[in-house]
Amino acid sequence: MMNNQSLIIAEKIAYKINDKKLFHNLSFYVNKGEALHICGSNGSGKSTLIRIILGITSQTKGNFNYGNTKKICYLGHKNALKSYLSVADNLMLLDLDDHIELDPYLKKLELKELLDITVANLSFGQQKKLALLRIFLNDSDLIILDEPFVGLDKKTLDLVIDFLAKELDAKKGIIYTSHIHCEIESKILNLE
Amino acid sequence: MNTLYLEYLKLKKKTRNWLGPILVFILIMIAYPLTVEFLQKDLEQGFFSLLWISMLLSMMLATEDIFLEDFNDGSLEQILISTSSFPILIAKKIFIYWAMIGIPISLFSFLFSLSITKDLQVSLLIMPLSMLCTYIFLNLFVFGSALSLNKGSVLGAIITMPIALPVLIVLGKSVIAIQFGINYLEFLLLLLGGLSIIITAVPFIVSYVIKAHLE
Repeated sequence: MMNNQSLIIAEKIAYKINDKKLFHNLSFYVNKGEALHICGSNGSGKSTLIRIILGITSQTKGNFNYGNTKKICYLGHKNALKSYLSVADNLMLLDLDDHIELDPYLKKLELKELLDITVANLSFGQQKKLALLRIFLNDSDLIILDEPFVGLDKKTLDLVIDFLAKELDAKKGIIYTSHIHCEIESKILNLE
Repeated sequence: MNTLYLEYLKLKKKTRNWLGPILVFILIMIAYPLTVEFLQKDLEQGFFSLLWISMLLSMMLATEDIFLEDFNDGSLEQILISTSSFPILIAKKIFIYWAMIGIPISLFSFLFSLSITKDLQVSLLIMPLSMLCTYIFLNLFVFGSALSLNKGSVLGAIITMPIALPVLIVLGKSVIAIQFGINYLEFLLLLLGGLSIIITAVPFIVSYVIKAHLE
């Protein structure tokens, strides 16, 4: 039932691809300050469900109510970075270059010294950190993450987990998939 | 940050994408006099046909992978879920491609026209035609590129080429009108009218096609 705490309500969602039912009758909700962990083995439809939630892919059946969600912040398997541009140029593309909290996060993520480096010359982990700035500096109500912890070192992993915990305290909603264990208090949605 | 500037920044850094089509155009224009008998009359005879076809090919080349990189790196998904308008972004992208590729090619078309025809009046009249036709061709090939996104650009070009044929016919008639001193303004207005429809419709159609691809 929709209330002023609801960020998203999914009712009886089904998705079928090539006559194969990926999932059906899936119902869940996320309120402000709640996290939803979508679990399942490879090919169970976690990323597809994320894309359906985002409105990129259409569900076969069911409907979503986006209640109090005005803006969604998403980080998926693809980092949406331009490999031929420098870190600074990418920050400009992400519209984060004049964000008030950019500098502290650049220092925390050890990207401060790499501003003039072309993204193609960064390691996978460094590229992931740069993409994570989209999350750290978000102004959305709902954060959606598809395997956000892949390729991160322990220090950055802890930073992301601490950040997400703070976002939950700030009454934001989080939906994520992850095969890597993390200490985020979440509801579980198992697609098995 | 202004999206026009960001699109400019992206294209500027991809030298191959904007310089390549311009160089191809210049090379075809330079190669043309070498392949026909070196008589002024012979040169002029086929020059304008070659000019339009070179522009067509250059614009096709320019739009070859206009969305491919954004598709591969996940930027299109981010744009789709953002609050900004997708068709407007596409329109801006096409405009930047025209400003960085179409306008230089139009300027070169004036220079080559002047060097071949030795007629300043004719060459000056060719300029607005070139400007309009490069913008029209760009829009058409962007549509083709979107159709064959992630499936190879040749397919898109083949699909789009027949749509460009009426434009080539109008361009041919315009040149005849210029050469015979007939009022060519009607042809210019016809192209302008076509362009105004195309630049309004293409971004919406392309955004729909891309959404279908992402799905």
